[in-house]
Amino acid sequence: MSAVAEAIEAGRMPGRVWLYSNYHCNLACSYCLTESAPGVATRRLGGDRMVALAREASELGFNEIGVTGGEPFLEPDMPETIARLAEIVPVVVLTNGTLFTGRRLERMAPLASEDVRIQISLDSSDAVANDTMRGPENFQKVVDAIPRLIGMGIKVRIASTLEYVAETDLSALCSLHRALGVPDEDHIVRPIVRRGRAVDSDMGISAGAADLPPELTITADGAFWSAFGPTVHGGRLDTDLLVTRTTSPLRIPATTMLHLLEHQPASATADSEFI
Amino acid sequence: MTEMQRVALMEKSQAPLLARRFFDRGDPGAIVATLAHVPELLETTAPFLGSIYGPSALPPRLKEIVVLRTSGLQKCRYCIETHSVVALDSGLNRQEVLYLRDERDIGDLFDDERERALLAWVELVALGPGEPSENVAAKLKAHFSDAEIVEITMVSAATLMLNRFCTPLGLPTSAATLNRLSEEGLH
Repeated sequence: MSAVAEAIEAGRMPGRVWLYSNYHCNLACSYCLTESAPGVATRRLGGDRMVALAREASELGFNEIGVTGGEPFLEPDMPETIARLAEIVPVVVLTNGTLFTGRRLERMAPLASEDVRIQISLDSSDAVANDTMRGPENFQKVVDAIPRLIGMGIKVRIASTLEYVAETDLSALCSLHRALGVPDEDHIVRPIVRRGRAVDSDMGISAGAADLPPELTITADGAFWSAFGPTVHGGRLDTDLLVTRTTSPLRIPATTMLHLLEHQPASATADSEFI
Repeated sequence: MTEMQRVALMEKSQAPLLARRFFDRGDPGAIVATLAHVPELLETTAPFLGSIYGPSALPPRLKEIVVLRTSGLQKCRYCIETHSVVALDSGLNRQEVLYLRDERDIGDLFDDERERALLAWVELVALGPGEPSENVAAKLKAHFSDAEIVEITMVSAATLMLNRFCTPLGLPTSAATLNRLSEEGLH
């Protein structure tokens, strides 16, 4: 058993690997970590690469893949890619939920029989409040899409990213997700992290490596400490949570991640003072 | 970022996890701040360079003769400027530094046979191509042990690598170094 597999099995290293499928999005949310929007650089991983990474991850002992972006479902082959990933390990996909109509919705059908959860963002039970953060008509598209997906037998979670958790708002939000067919255990409430566009919007909580879940995250730009790591601010990729630029073979960032988790780096003085 | 720089120096606030420790004591220098863009390269290259340029069996004066002469022959501005200061601090005088930088004739400088043999060897290593002449190799062997020859050659070879890293990327010389060079009339 590899050191990474041992660490995952022992609970010393999270078993999930995140894949940033792409960085572009049909929305431009006010707190977006990656400044995603229509027209930004796509920085795609590509379906075949994602599947290859999932295979490597499974061989190394990881036991779940998370897919995020950008909006993953802007990638034309995403439903099929998710199905391929799910043949290897369970998958959770983060989506804004606005694209599940017509042919794309039909192509989601095979995922009903797979170990796949579709995690859809919904930030308020109030359409105006939700759409202020996430863009026009977002609320209606999401509340239309969730029952459709559930009706197809697809497992759906709702994620609410909140600046403030007021009890009455949360209560109304929970009533809504239950009405949409999503039980309490599949409703996630999380804070806004002050990175990316949230910095400019003066929102969220500051978080460093010690505050964020150390889940290996692979992007077109390299491997990161957390899914909250490969953020973009002012059009520039943040590198403060970069682990390695190398992503293949996956064991290189995985073993580096484990090293970072288990060893505080020694002083660099001896290495660098003579350079 | 200066006009000649091809890549930005990594800022402390953006230093990747593996690179953070290099920024703990302030400015880590242009080479480290550049390598930090690829932290796994920095992780291995920094200790390698530390073993080359840090304290070792080779006396600092001899080591700086190798580094500065190699850089002078390769016309690496960053390395010449940075190591002119190190050379002065290692006991070389201003005229010796100017020769090593390839800015004056050797004249009566370096009258020690051992240092003359070293300079002839470094010239062949730095300028290549092909194998060094038997005559130059024999003179080096007359004055240095095998271990010293290995280290001398490795210092020159590593400096060549850095010359070809720093020059194309246009690494900026630190303000402190430039000030010192001005004070010494070497800028």
